[in-house]
Amino acid sequence: MKDIREDIAWAKINKDVLKSLESPRKLYWAILTVAIAMVAVAVGCEVYQYNVGMGVANMDNPHVWGLYIATFIFWIGMSHSGTLLSAILHLMHADWRKPIYRFAEAMTTFSLMTAGLFVAVHLGRVWQIYYALPYPNERGVWPNFQSPLLWDAMAIFTYLSSSILFLYVGMIPDLAICRDNIHSGWRKKLYTLLSLGWEGTDRQWRNFRITYLTIACFLIPLAVSVHSIVSSDFASSQQPGWHITSFGPYFVAGALYSGCAAIITLFIILRYVFKFEEYMTLPILKKVVRLTFAIAMVWTYLNLIEYATVWYSHDEASKHVLIMKATGVYAPFWWMMNFCGSIVPLVMAFKRFQTNIPVMMVVSLLLNLGMWLERWMIVAPTFADGYYPWTWDHDQWPSFVQWGIVFGSFGWFTLLFMVFCKIFPSVSMYEVKEMVYHRSLANKKLEVTGMQESGKGAH
Amino acid sequence: MIDNDFDRRDFLKVLGWGGAAVALSGCGNTSIEDGKETVVSYVHAADYVIPGISVYFNSTCAQCEAGCSINGRVREGRVLKLEGNTSSIINRGKMCGLGQAGVQHHYNPDRVREPLLRNGDKGETITWEKAYGLIAEKLNGVSGDQIDFLTGTVSGHLKVLLGNYLESLSSENHFVYEAVSPAVQRAANMKSYGMEMPRFSINKAKVVVSFGADFLGAWVSPVHFSQQYAEFRKGVDGQRGVLVQVESKMTITGANADRWLVVRPGTEGILALGVINALGAAGLQLPADVAAAVKGYDKERVSKDTGVSTEHLARLAALLKERTPSLVLLGSAAEGYAHGSENAAAINLLNHVLGNVGKTIEASSAVPFPQIAPATGNYAALRLANNRLADGQCKVLFTYATNPIFTAPTEMKFKENMAKAGFKVAFTHYLDETALQADLVLPLDSALEDWGTIVAEYQPDGVQIGVQQPLMEKLYPNTRGMGDILLALIKQRRAEEYKSFDDFYSYLRTALLKNKGEFAEAGVDEDVYWNDLLSAGIINVGGNVNKLVDKISTNIQLPPPPERDKDYPFTLIPSVTASLRDGRHTNQPWLQESPDPLTTIVWDSWVEIHPKKAAELGIVEGDILEVESRNGSIKAQAYLFPGIHPDAVSIPLGRGHEAMGRYAKGYGVNPFQILDRVFDKETAELAMHETLVKLRKTGQRIIVVKDEGPVGGSQQGRKIAVSVSSDQVDLSEEV
Amino acid sequence: MSVSNLLENWSEFRHKHPVEDVPHDPYKWAMSIDLDACTGCNACSVACYAENNLPVVGKEKYAHGQAMHWMRIERYWPEDDREFPDQGAQFLPMMCQQCEAAPCETVCPVGATNHTPDGLNSQVYNRCIGSRYCSANCPFKVRYFNWYDYPTTENVWPAEMTQQLNPDITLRGKGVMEKCTFCIQRIRVGQRSVKNEGRVLRDGEVQTACQQVCPTNAITFGNLIDTESKVHQQWKAQRVELAVDEQTKDKEEGGSDLRGYRILEELRPYPSVMYMERVRESAI
Ligand SMILES: Nc1nc2c(c(=O)[nH]1)N[C@H]1C(S)=C(S)[C@@H](COP(=O)(O)OP(=O)(O)OC[C@H]3O[C@@H](n4cnc5c(=O)[nH]c(N)nc54)[C@H](O)[C@@H]3O)O[C@H]1N2
Ligand SMILES: Nc1nc2c(c(=O)[nH]1)N[C@H]1C(S)=C(S)[C@@H](COP(=O)(O)OP(=O)(O)OC[C@H]3O[C@@H](n4cnc5c(=O)[nH]c(N)nc54)[C@H](O)[C@@H]3O)O[C@H]1N2
Ligand code: SF4
Ligand code: SF4
Ligand code: SF4
Ligand code: SF4
Ligand code: SF4
Repeated sequence: MKDIREDIAWAKINKDVLKSLESPRKLYWAILTVAIAMVAVAVGCEVYQYNVGMGVANMDNPHVWGLYIATFIFWIGMSHSGTLLSAILHLMHADWRKPIYRFAEAMTTFSLMTAGLFVAVHLGRVWQIYYALPYPNERGVWPNFQSPLLWDAMAIFTYLSSSILFLYVGMIPDLAICRDNIHSGWRKKLYTLLSLGWEGTDRQWRNFRITYLTIACFLIPLAVSVHSIVSSDFASSQQPGWHITSFGPYFVAGALYSGCAAIITLFIILRYVFKFEEYMTLPILKKVVRLTFAIAMVWTYLNLIEYATVWYSHDEASKHVLIMKATGVYAPFWWMMNFCGSIVPLVMAFKRFQTNIPVMMVVSLLLNLGMWLERWMIVAPTFADGYYPWTWDHDQWPSFVQWGIVFGSFGWFTLLFMVFCKIFPSVSMYEVKEMVYHRSLANKKLEVTGMQESGKGAH
Repeated sequence: MIDNDFDRRDFLKVLGWGGAAVALSGCGNTSIEDGKETVVSYVHAADYVIPGISVYFNSTCAQCEAGCSINGRVREGRVLKLEGNTSSIINRGKMCGLGQAGVQHHYNPDRVREPLLRNGDKGETITWEKAYGLIAEKLNGVSGDQIDFLTGTVSGHLKVLLGNYLESLSSENHFVYEAVSPAVQRAANMKSYGMEMPRFSINKAKVVVSFGADFLGAWVSPVHFSQQYAEFRKGVDGQRGVLVQVESKMTITGANADRWLVVRPGTEGILALGVINALGAAGLQLPADVAAAVKGYDKERVSKDTGVSTEHLARLAALLKERTPSLVLLGSAAEGYAHGSENAAAINLLNHVLGNVGKTIEASSAVPFPQIAPATGNYAALRLANNRLADGQCKVLFTYATNPIFTAPTEMKFKENMAKAGFKVAFTHYLDETALQADLVLPLDSALEDWGTIVAEYQPDGVQIGVQQPLMEKLYPNTRGMGDILLALIKQRRAEEYKSFDDFYSYLRTALLKNKGEFAEAGVDEDVYWNDLLSAGIINVGGNVNKLVDKISTNIQLPPPPERDKDYPFTLIPSVTASLRDGRHTNQPWLQESPDPLTTIVWDSWVEIHPKKAAELGIVEGDILEVESRNGSIKAQAYLFPGIHPDAVSIPLGRGHEAMGRYAKGYGVNPFQILDRVFDKETAELAMHETLVKLRKTGQRIIVVKDEGPVGGSQQGRKIAVSVSSDQVDLSEEV
Repeated sequence: MSVSNLLENWSEFRHKHPVEDVPHDPYKWAMSIDLDACTGCNACSVACYAENNLPVVGKEKYAHGQAMHWMRIERYWPEDDREFPDQGAQFLPMMCQQCEAAPCETVCPVGATNHTPDGLNSQVYNRCIGSRYCSANCPFKVRYFNWYDYPTTENVWPAEMTQQLNPDITLRGKGVMEKCTFCIQRIRVGQRSVKNEGRVLRDGEVQTACQQVCPTNAITFGNLIDTESKVHQQWKAQRVELAVDEQTKDKEEGGSDLRGYRILEELRPYPSVMYMERVRESAI
């Protein structure tokens, strides 16, 4: 199992990564076309829904929330991957993150941009969406600071802007490389503009490191808070199945979980599409897989805690909702979620599968399916049952409009991601160089002390 | 409420050129921009129109025959809402849902707006002059006994004018038809109490035993009886009234009963006699002939025949014996059999035995001017009219306030027979099934645009004459009041006699003022009196109290319950619901969307079947069933309903229109169509509950559109709607 | 600018339920519904349609659970396995309970549903962005969302029918939440008219549409603060208190000669609607 070569030339790194910005392969165009088609489906559905009314999504009273909210949470969850790999692992000096954090960060940004759209898609009067923001206004009318939804809006806005900043700042040295290697056209102009005159001076590097570290520190609590706030949309409500104390950590765990799973998926895809085998090596995959497995177990634990607290509480309504999740109309999806979320990751415990690309591809997709189902199973069953039996609603099923928009959101995400990969280096060149350099240094040290074992990294 | 005593005529005239423009330029309906209308400045608003301020006028509800007095809210010349007139002794400020929907009758987009003359399959717009001319022409050379008037209930001065018109035509053929009417009961009451409709005082009774009288729903005067019921529940002498309902299909009244006794269809009379027997056994002194008449009706037999347990029978008898006075009511469910009159006699006998006559059943007052008393309708009238049409005896047919093609059993072939009349004129608001078969359709003013007097059949105290007056200017220039039309027609024959009346309004005013002496203090100025009268909206007159008789008749021949027919195992109960009745108001969307109280179904018909029976037949909710009688079949969704005898199925009346506009047409099915022609032996009324049917699953299944959720009427053990036993609480102590 | 406004008034703004520091004065609107009188006739529901410009959504939308009846009459059957419901059905008129500590209010992101000083749960249509969180959090599920633009939907209000609309209230467009308002337009007209006379409303001067029409007077509406009002007296007689989550009836031994209770009050929304239990005769 080959890891990154320590003797890889820096020029080769530049060349390999910059190559990914050049004329796309046919496969790229094929994926892009599919993505655009998916977006077109979603746009069509949204236009229809906007014109005719939310009713076409087939929600009803009291089943007022559906796939939009569920998928919104899903995308917010996805966004945690970037922060985890970039910020947390950065602070922990895990060097194996270096070749893959860039695309993970891009994922964060694009999932947030996707999630944000679901807020808009969900609102009955999207044209008044700014009412939810605490902007100063003449009338002195403020939004309601008691509402988690308001904090949601603010948290997402903050998280999105910070993520963009983080992504951008971390890219500046690479953008300079692009600038220096590309000699004409709009790209040249773009990179020149964005690289902010980066010359790689000591002073620049020092400032850069401090800035990057500061943002990383800022981003970590933000990421945790975003999903905690999302969880309080439910946890701070009074509804059975929702007002659950463990929802904060449960949501954060779920978020990291789906984020990691998505990293595996994209890792495999990028590795293949851009021929990044040299950088996105199997040992890295193995590390990510192990991390994912750990998070999966945390999630499983929190999930069981949730069931147990509900089961042993005296809250009959909540218990009823739980029973209905397992036996009612949503039962197939609920069981599927538990299977995908807690059983499927067990595969990752086996070494031989940890680096098996086809297996990991399937597993990671299943994990994300499970995580998407998890969100749906949080949102919908509470509406189907609840406190007031007269209004129980076991027939509700999302219409093609809801499904279409959810489907299209994956296209939208893919579209953003694909475009990003062709404009910006999706592997961090300067950090890979750092990594290679540090490793070779470490190896030299080992050589000197005669303790080198082939194939093992320094850390 | 504002008691304005200004001149109503001026008010309406003013509205005519001012308010109407305002009225018609309401939101979403403006044609000001395109110059068809003039803007009327609110700075120079019409007199009596204060922009933004509502005025209230009293009138009379015409949605059913109960004659509730209403109070219409009018703003900027438009009627917005109907509320109850608090001075009315019939409804005391209250209304039912059906009554409130009267505004949707008025503003209904499917009203006929122009006189229409048949031209092949189409209606061609003609002028009123031409229409009147045509009637004169068609009546020419036709003898009086070839002219028939088929109407629904009519009363008041319209009835007078109609009578006069018929007289001028030398016709005696006025058939008053109501598809759903207490006709059997009227005859039975006449025998038992000496009057068709005595006063029933639910509020004075400690126990009410109702044999299928849906007095909270669709029976006789529901708003009035609902109020009595509320008092009855609060109790007499601190004792909360107890309601026992006996019927085979639960009505809304049954749903409110302390004990709902389900009986085998048609055995109501047997139960009544059984109760008398049990009362005797419990020690109540029975007259010898009564004792003899009920001798065979011992507990065991009655229990076997009716399905009511001996225990409940004994408890009912004990309760009736202990708590007096009580009241026994008789409704359509008991009447609707071939032995309906016998059932009725048995039930009335129970009142006699219990000594209720004179206590909770009291004499009603006779309408002092018999000519304005209501001509009440029944089925027998339709039968006569239909026979005349079939035999070609009727050459010119006028229909008003009735829709026999919808309500007559198909088997009567009314539609085919009607075609045999040479000229058919329909006075109507909508193109309903009957109007579609007419040669000439004459559009009427809505009940909120028209003048008139309405006298209800059921009168709680004395006689209340309801004044009907326009609440706003006419919506359409080419509709006419029924009174105006009759006046115009009568002028064709007796111009001299009626020439002093410009319109029905002046006729009405003159007629009412003529009797001013009867109602008002002497010397009151005519205009003052008239305005007061319009302001009040009602005229209360004492009337001579009828003489109540307490006549016991023991000659009652009740058939034993028949064996179930193997081919047609179910009794069909066509149920009458409070909001749709016989289907004349199905095109009012509030009523379509107002859930049936018991099933919560909207916008459609359904077949009620007992869950046990359904399980036996493998029927689940939403299965489309074909309900087939010997005279036809209809298809509707199944609804599993615990409040019905397993031998019966029930389909509500009122839906299943094939015409009558966007809100009525195509929703549900019409059970009238498949009724068997079985008649009450004494009165020749259609025995509505005698139709036998069989069920067939069609294999289709749909989701029933209803308010109730997937767990039905279950509270899932949660404390939502709570009941308490009467021995724990004392309602008389409460505020 | 109103940052100061925000800082100074916020806590007060969100405390308009009957904690002792801010009592309602001079009005606290409340209701009591006598389930023994209610016959389930639906007249109140129709009155609400007429008064409050509620759209008739039609069969198809009704089937999709998109009906807009602010007042719905629920019908319950006895839970035991008896063959026939021989003690009848149980009807329950259910509309917004105008909770004093309304779960719907705290969650609305834009403060479109609020508590008024006179104790109503208000709904500001213009402010609503249609997030539907309020409905999600209402325990009684009495909030109705405009899934479509009913005013422009075919056959909901054809031109002729628009003339019936009550000009005292708007028509709600698509995307807005709505619910029973205790007929706020009637209350406001009443309050303003007596303000000129320098007095407060007397019992009965304002009736809700549903109360006004109810043939059995099952619905009582009025000012809970006014000791003369029927609603006050009924609440008092039933020993039901507003800001309490368990009433005498349920607390005390022998308290069971009372009938007053509030639905789901253990969740502490402090509903302003008291129900009085249906009674069934024990002797039959
Ligand atoms: N009964 C009642 N009274 C109300 C209200 C209510 O709802 N009911 N609403 C209140 C409210 S919210 C408001 S804003 C006020 C509005 O009250 P006003 O300001 O009085 O409103 P308008 O009657 O709409 O317009 C005033 C005049 O401006 C003229 N005008 C139009 N364009 C121009 C222009 O370009 N130049 C000039 N010089 N004149 C022009 C119009 O022809 C009209 O005569 O009314 C208040 N009064
Ligand atoms: N065609 C036309 N359109 C106009 C104008 C015009 O002149 N002509 N004028 C424009 C102007 S200037 C204005 S200001 C706007 C006014 O437009 P809107 O703000 O829509 O005004 P209203 O119709 O007066 O009132 C809104 C609703 O509030 C309800 N209401 C009253 N009190 C309360 C309360 O305490 N709580 C709640 N929730 N509801 C309450 C009323 O019943 C009414 O239904 O219209 C504008 N639009
Ligand atoms: S009972 Fe009849 S008359 Fe009275 S309000 Fe209802 S429909 Fe009108
Ligand atoms: S109007 Fe009165 S009796 Fe009828 S359902 Fe409503 S509350 Fe009950
Ligand atoms: S009943 Fe529901 S909508 Fe009404 S105030 Fe309470 S929580 Fe809010
Ligand atoms: S639907 Fe409207 S009122 Fe309800 S929470 Fe959302 S914005 Fe607030
Ligand atoms: S109080 Fe008014 S708004 Fe509320 S249900 Fe009654 S009629 Fe409707």
